[in-house]
Amino acid sequence: MNEDKSEFLKGTLDMLVLKVVALGPIHGYAISQRIRQMSKEFFQVQQGSLYPALHRLEDRGWLKADWRDTETGREAKFYSLTAKGRKQLETVMRTWARLSDAVALILRTAE
Amino acid sequence: MHWLSRFIRRSRAQEQLDAELRFHLEQQIADYLAAGMAPEEARRRARLEFGGLDQVKEEVYEAQRGHLLETLLQDVRYGLRKLRKDAGFTAIAVLTLALGIGANTAIFSLVNAVLLRPLPFREPGRLVGIQNATYPKGGFAAMRRQIHTMDPAAYDDGHEFTLTGLGEPVRLNGTLVSANFFSVLGAKPQLGRAFSPGQDEAGRDAYVVLSHALWEKVFRGNPSAVGRVINLEGTPRQILGVMPAGFHFPSPGTQVWIPLGIDPRNATDYWAQDYMPVIGRLKPGVTMAQAQAELRLFQSHVRTMFPWPMPENWNAGLAVEPLQSVLTGNVQPWLLILLGAVGLVLLVACANVANLTLSRASIRTKEIALRNSLGASRPRIVLQLITESVVTALAGGTLGLLLGGSALSLLKTLLPGDTPGLGDLAVDWRVLAFTAALSVAAGIVSGAVPAVQSSRPDLNVSLKSSGRGLVSSASRRARRVLVIAEIGLAVLLVSAAGLLIRSLWSLSHVNPGFSATHLLTARITPNESFCNNAGRCVAFYRQVLDRVRGLPGVSGAAMINTLPLDGRVNKRSLYLEGRRQVPQDSPLVWQNIISAGYFRLMHIPLLRGRGFTRADSTGNPPVAVVSAATAQRFWPNQDAVGQHIRFADSAEWITIVGVAGDVRAFSLQQAIPPYMDGAIYIPYGPLATMENGRIPAGMTLAVRVDQDTPELASSIRNIVGNLNRDVPVSEIKTMTTVLSGATSAPRSITFLFVSFAGIAFVLGAVGIYGVVSFFVGQRTREIGIRMALGAQTADVLRVVLREGLSMTFAGMAAGFLAALLLTRLLRRFLYGVSPTDPLALGGVAILFALVAAASCYMPARRAMRVHPVIALREE
Repeated sequence: MNEDKSEFLKGTLDMLVLKVVALGPIHGYAISQRIRQMSKEFFQVQQGSLYPALHRLEDRGWLKADWRDTETGREAKFYSLTAKGRKQLETVMRTWARLSDAVALILRTAE
Repeated sequence: MHWLSRFIRRSRAQEQLDAELRFHLEQQIADYLAAGMAPEEARRRARLEFGGLDQVKEEVYEAQRGHLLETLLQDVRYGLRKLRKDAGFTAIAVLTLALGIGANTAIFSLVNAVLLRPLPFREPGRLVGIQNATYPKGGFAAMRRQIHTMDPAAYDDGHEFTLTGLGEPVRLNGTLVSANFFSVLGAKPQLGRAFSPGQDEAGRDAYVVLSHALWEKVFRGNPSAVGRVINLEGTPRQILGVMPAGFHFPSPGTQVWIPLGIDPRNATDYWAQDYMPVIGRLKPGVTMAQAQAELRLFQSHVRTMFPWPMPENWNAGLAVEPLQSVLTGNVQPWLLILLGAVGLVLLVACANVANLTLSRASIRTKEIALRNSLGASRPRIVLQLITESVVTALAGGTLGLLLGGSALSLLKTLLPGDTPGLGDLAVDWRVLAFTAALSVAAGIVSGAVPAVQSSRPDLNVSLKSSGRGLVSSASRRARRVLVIAEIGLAVLLVSAAGLLIRSLWSLSHVNPGFSATHLLTARITPNESFCNNAGRCVAFYRQVLDRVRGLPGVSGAAMINTLPLDGRVNKRSLYLEGRRQVPQDSPLVWQNIISAGYFRLMHIPLLRGRGFTRADSTGNPPVAVVSAATAQRFWPNQDAVGQHIRFADSAEWITIVGVAGDVRAFSLQQAIPPYMDGAIYIPYGPLATMENGRIPAGMTLAVRVDQDTPELASSIRNIVGNLNRDVPVSEIKTMTTVLSGATSAPRSITFLFVSFAGIAFVLGAVGIYGVVSFFVGQRTREIGIRMALGAQTADVLRVVLREGLSMTFAGMAAGFLAALLLTRLLRRFLYGVSPTDPLALGGVAILFALVAAASCYMPARRAMRVHPVIALREE
């Protein structure tokens, strides 16, 4: 049961990661910072979730990674979106929109 | 070094992951420092936030797909857990598959030993046999001189030799071989040496090679036996060598190998005796096609070398084939049919397990629906379910291997002892690989339908229903289709078994043309040289007969050179008076040489004319009796009695004095071999010569007894021994034993088929029972309502029976259709029954209908006992 629940949450995190990476090549640390800032400190992405997610997405061919230098001159692993990943992002965003609309609708009408 | 490179790749990935995570941590610390935190504090907080480094890494690995193996292991672990929890189901599924796989393992071991495993000789790939062709010594000698594509060797099986001078005389089975026989096969003696070139020529051939078993038996394994001279059939021969224990060519019964004794001066022996099979070793770089082409060319001029014209079609169909397929040609169809049958059994087993899994899946629907709704993809669930089935099937395969392995010793006794390779029947790596592959395949086959079926995202139905859960109609349809298929396959197998049983029945009720009861037979074999003096031989046998007739409990005794059904055949060419007398037109007949009184003793009816009297044995005037079919064939619509024949090598005309009833002497199906035209009887006497110009030395004694006298065998031995100490008596057996020996091969095949059909049949019945039970279980509520509304138990019974019988009939229709198409393959194994025999097939239909009704009855009775109130409360 537990693994199933986390599987559900993984789906959400994956979507957020894809969205952030879609903005341009970015390394893991920056992704976690960006998600925190963009969600106005709501999402505290744990490293224990972020890195498995990144590797999973890379494994599925949605992300690709290469090592390059950061602004401070350090070498880091930068992720960017593949064509397949872009398509996946669109799909999940559409699904999410429908889902949240439906939830919102229920919540509104139930008021 | 695949593993190594993977390991390296993996460790590089690990380094990169380390670097990536370290970068993250350092970046975090840098940010905290920039925010004005003290270095110690920044480091401490970053570490705290980051959590356990190793744990993060572990989770990253798990997230990576690609590790199919790890997913698989996880599924296997999950499956095992699941199967343990459901011990009843697991036991039944494992046992069912074990039966199916075990049967396949056993039969495949046989196929492997006989057809697949290379012959145990040096470079077996270059060993060939000449199919559809045999050569006399002269023909072989010519081939040896003229053929260059291969090194040919000839052998002539089925000779018998009496070994004397070492205690009791012993009868030995021997094979005449050309000198290069062992070197062509690439077999070396364990002791001493094999024949040298030239040692197969008459006058230079006083040698013998012993089998390991004979050496152990007669010489107690003493190496000094090599070099000794022994007396075989009155001829002294020096022991050259002893073959190793594993050498059994041409048959496991061969005890001595003796040189051919090629003698060009003896034209009859050189050109007419003993047509032998020829094998060969291809010269390096030569193909079978080249060898065949050369042999065809050789064939066209060897014909002209005979002292008489040879028929055009002699050896016309010769073909050079791998030795193994030449040797196993006649068992191959049997093995393939058996392999097909066990394949069907396994399919039935798979269908049964699939069915069982489906019914269990309906209980697990909710588990699956939940997993599905929580995001597990459908392929993922299908994979999980199939993995479970494969785990079950592998357990079944392991058990099946044990079952099949232990059946091997049984199989050995079921098949004819001279089946090549049978001695080395064992579970080897090929059998193991086959069983493993078959188990995985069985798991996938039995798991695929249920997995696809129950992973169907039918959330609404599954999640909504309470309690046992409703089953989708698709799944019910799948189950019915599976049971129909199962019944169809079972009907096919049982039909085949039924036909074989019918065939065996007619075979064992064949009238062999003589009466076998109360008849004891014994083979008496003086040396050939003993009969050099025909008068001495005839007098010896007359004394044997007279003394045996005087034994208490004996009502009659007679002799024949070739007892019906004992495997010996004696051929002879002859001419009919008033027909063209050229060799091409000379009919080939089976020449029986019998003592007066043989027909009466065997209860063979004389249809026309008379039998032989003692006076006939003088051979003057020469007389003969022919069989009814022979009379009809040679003199259609004429009286055979009074006609004249002469043997092709003799000028003397023989008068036919009688026509005897046909005797199934060659086999229970055939009176004479297919290549012969008839059977004649000649009275035993000093002039009753065979093709080699000699009277037969070995004769079979047949004794009719009034009452069972256990000491009769030893009395016969004593009589013969008292007359001549050097004459062995062997093959003492009742004629009924001889008769049942003729049905032993069909009996064992039928036994195997019936066992397989039995398994399929029981599985089919279980399948019907399972589906109907399930149907009743699902409908308990509906039945309750119906009964509350006034339905009678008979109505309930009808509904349940309809469920079961409709499947049965559909399955039977499919099965019989398949049977009509496939039992034709059995035609060559059937005797006296057509592949569409209405009795056998009708019996199968009734059997299945009855069992289906019985399988429905038990659940139906449960349904009829449903108490409406309880049924309604159940929901």
